[in-house]
Amino acid sequence: MAETAEPLVLPDVGHEEKTDSKEDLEPGYLVICWDDPVNLMDYVTHVFQVVFGWAKQKAEFHMLQVHNQGKSILTRESMERAEHYVHQLQKYSLHATMERD
Amino acid sequence: MHLLRSEGDQFVFEIGKREKRLLLDILKLYPLIPIAHHQVTRSGVGDKMESNQRLLEEALAEQRAGNRKQLDVMLGEEGRFKPVKTSFHLTLNPHQTEWLLQVLNDVRVGSWLRLGQPDEKKAKDINLTPDNARYLVFMEASAYFESVLLSALEK
Repeated sequence: MAETAEPLVLPDVGHEEKTDSKEDLEPGYLVICWDDPVNLMDYVTHVFQVVFGWAKQKAEFHMLQVHNQGKSILTRESMERAEHYVHQLQKYSLHATMERD
Repeated sequence: MHLLRSEGDQFVFEIGKREKRLLLDILKLYPLIPIAHHQVTRSGVGDKMESNQRLLEEALAEQRAGNRKQLDVMLGEEGRFKPVKTSFHLTLNPHQTEWLLQVLNDVRVGSWLRLGQPDEKKAKDINLTPDNARYLVFMEASAYFESVLLSALEK
């Protein structure tokens, strides 16, 4: 379904009271999904498609990486974007974190 | 439960009486994952990560409260489960289906946590007790309903 395959819109990252440091804006954060034995493989593939707007093949590739290697680096982003993606993935109860590269 | 047909932007699922009761029992449990289970990072703490963790917890708490309200409204809507002979027709649009998927998976993961996080790969068995035994049913039944919703969205 097209509606479920579209990427989620990123939030407006501008903050009036907060000045982002150069470090925050650089893509220095990895968004990682970790393996857990509870999330269904099809479910994980589906969530990757929805959150990142990936084609099924790419989503399956990362899902299998999570399943077989224990984790997959999904994307490398600025702090705010990484945070956004982690929030989205955790909304779906996936085990996702952001780590400094 | 199975997808009966797609009508425009609506999915019509057929669901048996016992299945409906099971689905409603599962949905009553939402939210089941403790907020503290969600960690924004595995490594560094530091001020920024602590603030990110707080933001994550606030966002999830807000989302869960909204989901719970929406769930109650949706399930209470007239015609949501339309009785037909010995079963019901459950009508959902793709957005509601997607959203229900999130809710069901919260109950699945929350049940798994209450069962002691069993893991076949690590030969970690279910820590079954009289108090948590029902969560085994909820964990497996959630997966069943999720699979039905996923195949509908796939189509």
